[in-house]
Amino acid sequence: MKPVKVLIAILGLDQHEVGAVAIARILRDAGMEVIYAGRFNLPAGVVKTAIDEDVDVIGISCHSWEYLYYADELVELLAKEEAEIPVVVGGSVVTPGDARMLAEKGIAAAFGAGARPEEMVAAIRGLAAGRAAI
Amino acid sequence: MSTENGKEAVLQTESRIPLRPLYGPADGAGKSYDTELGDPGSFPFTRGTRPAGTRRGWIHRELSGEGDPRRSNEQFKYLLGLGQMGLDVIGDTATMGLLDPDHPFARHAVGTQGVSVCCLDDFRELYRDIPLDQVTLSHSLPAAFTVAGLYSVASERGVSPAAMRGSVIQSPFFCEDCGYAVHMPFRLRLRLAADSIEFSSREMPKFHTFLEDTYYISENGIDAVEEMALGFIEVRGLIRELLARGLDIDSFGPRIAILVNCRMDFFEEIAKIRATRRLFARMMRDEFGAKDPRSWAVNISVHTSGLSLTAQQPVNNIVRGAVQALAMACAGVQALEVSTFDEAFRTPSPEAHIVGLRTQQVVELESRVTQVADPMGGSYFVESLTDELERRIGEMIGNIEAMGDPAQLADRGFFRRMFDEATERHSQGLIDGTLAKVGVNVHAVAEEEDTLLRDVAERKFEPSRERIEWMAAYRAGRDARAVEEALRALYEAGLDPRRSLMPPIIAGTRAGATNGEMAGVLRMAYGRPADPFGVLPDPIAVEARA
Repeated sequence: MKPVKVLIAILGLDQHEVGAVAIARILRDAGMEVIYAGRFNLPAGVVKTAIDEDVDVIGISCHSWEYLYYADELVELLAKEEAEIPVVVGGSVVTPGDARMLAEKGIAAAFGAGARPEEMVAAIRGLAAGRAAI
Repeated sequence: MSTENGKEAVLQTESRIPLRPLYGPADGAGKSYDTELGDPGSFPFTRGTRPAGTRRGWIHRELSGEGDPRRSNEQFKYLLGLGQMGLDVIGDTATMGLLDPDHPFARHAVGTQGVSVCCLDDFRELYRDIPLDQVTLSHSLPAAFTVAGLYSVASERGVSPAAMRGSVIQSPFFCEDCGYAVHMPFRLRLRLAADSIEFSSREMPKFHTFLEDTYYISENGIDAVEEMALGFIEVRGLIRELLARGLDIDSFGPRIAILVNCRMDFFEEIAKIRATRRLFARMMRDEFGAKDPRSWAVNISVHTSGLSLTAQQPVNNIVRGAVQALAMACAGVQALEVSTFDEAFRTPSPEAHIVGLRTQQVVELESRVTQVADPMGGSYFVESLTDELERRIGEMIGNIEAMGDPAQLADRGFFRRMFDEATERHSQGLIDGTLAKVGVNVHAVAEEEDTLLRDVAERKFEPSRERIEWMAAYRAGRDARAVEEALRALYEAGLDPRRSLMPPIIAGTRAGATNGEMAGVLRMAYGRPADPFGVLPDPIAVEARA
């Protein structure tokens, strides 16, 4: 079976990379293929890479508030490209209130500081499986 | 996944130095007091840089800066009103990256993680009504451009730049790999650092322009040994660069200072600072031949670890800050910033600022720990740990320097791998519980029960998007020709490595050029596009060079 393929990226000028590096490792250890885009991305570049690489899930790691503003743009661009790729957001700055707001915007899942690794792995696997079933 | 208490069967420090349950007279036996310790104020300064009884306590300050310079100025006044003794300013992500606030990548980040500063007007607003020669001004901002801004503002206010005290961080070796990428090649970063230090040691001799910052590199999860070894690698690299220019070690040695991190391992962090003072003194005197005793004694300031703080149960962070502040009070540092309880969520709120400052005030004024210099001195354990840290840091410095030129190590990604490995080690420690973290892997509570102080910690503010419009007006209002000429002059200076970049940066600052533009033409002089993200046009047109 083809491994789940995930793009991990940080948006805007957020330079905190600890969470992104950590989640990339967790997903790799869980047998997934990770495309690590690192820092300094805008939504357009993320969407393009995601489509080019045919990833199953886009993972946005954040330690600033920029993602709150980029979320709409990301979802809109994906819709415009007719790319059905679920977006997952994670970072200690993500509060329960933010998670609810992101869900309304069309973000598939959001993880705050308390998220456990196995919980994130399971969610991403579930999203990838759901996408494969389309 | 909670960790059982007592899971850590192995006794060790946070940097994995093995420990025994008890230390005694046999530890450190045979060591000479005079050569290894010395009284505070005497070589090798293990016990402190100043003679006992001369100056107690430390400069209390909290990291500040948010929104535009005007808003940050109000924040400064608020903090000084609470009894803060100096200012400690950090730039937002665009400012740290030498990009202007109207850069397309900065749109949602202007002023949210620090103050947005990019031109002379900004420095004027930032320090409005602040007596520049009376308050110490510490900066986590790009050094050369900040020196230029401060120097220009002081001059026009009639304050002698020579009277200014404070500091600005230097981060040429590791900034691209950690949180302060400026998108410049190594040679240019080193040159800007050395030029700004050389300029300041002449023009602003009380100002620490050579502030080695090991705080921000530690936030990747590196341990105390790695932190100081890498810090020394950078300090030594900069010293060699300055000596190669023909400068006397004692012309800049007294102005070297180190901004360190403080994690949660109480005794290790104290021992680290004592070991650092000793390593530094020996290095300066015995290796670089410094004759001035002031060049041997290094001032140490501290930011307590943001990485040690948690988003879960933010109130616990107040306790962490108090433990760290107490450790640093015992270590005898010159200045302290306590990372605030809302650190995991945001730049400090006014409420969290008060708590950080009050933490320092309570530790200093109520605990009485500062009455006696180096109160841990002579402890079997602390002396043994100091020796061991000195040995391990020294060994790591030697190993890394034996691998070759640090510029090449940086370009080959050696440091980057070190940081990445540390990050993975740190996150693995949190997952498997070997790094105990209350509220995270031990004594965690359900999210719905975790409510105390969360309302304050989670409160957000909007990016200062009005800065983007302000920038358009600012650019339109300048003498375009003067700006262009200044940028061209800076570009030309950039092409000639024998010239100091400080005069043309100061001239550019005074002509109204922005930090983003000036950094842009310097990137161009080093064969790179002015805009690292390839979105903006070059600020000046130049002929393609062969």
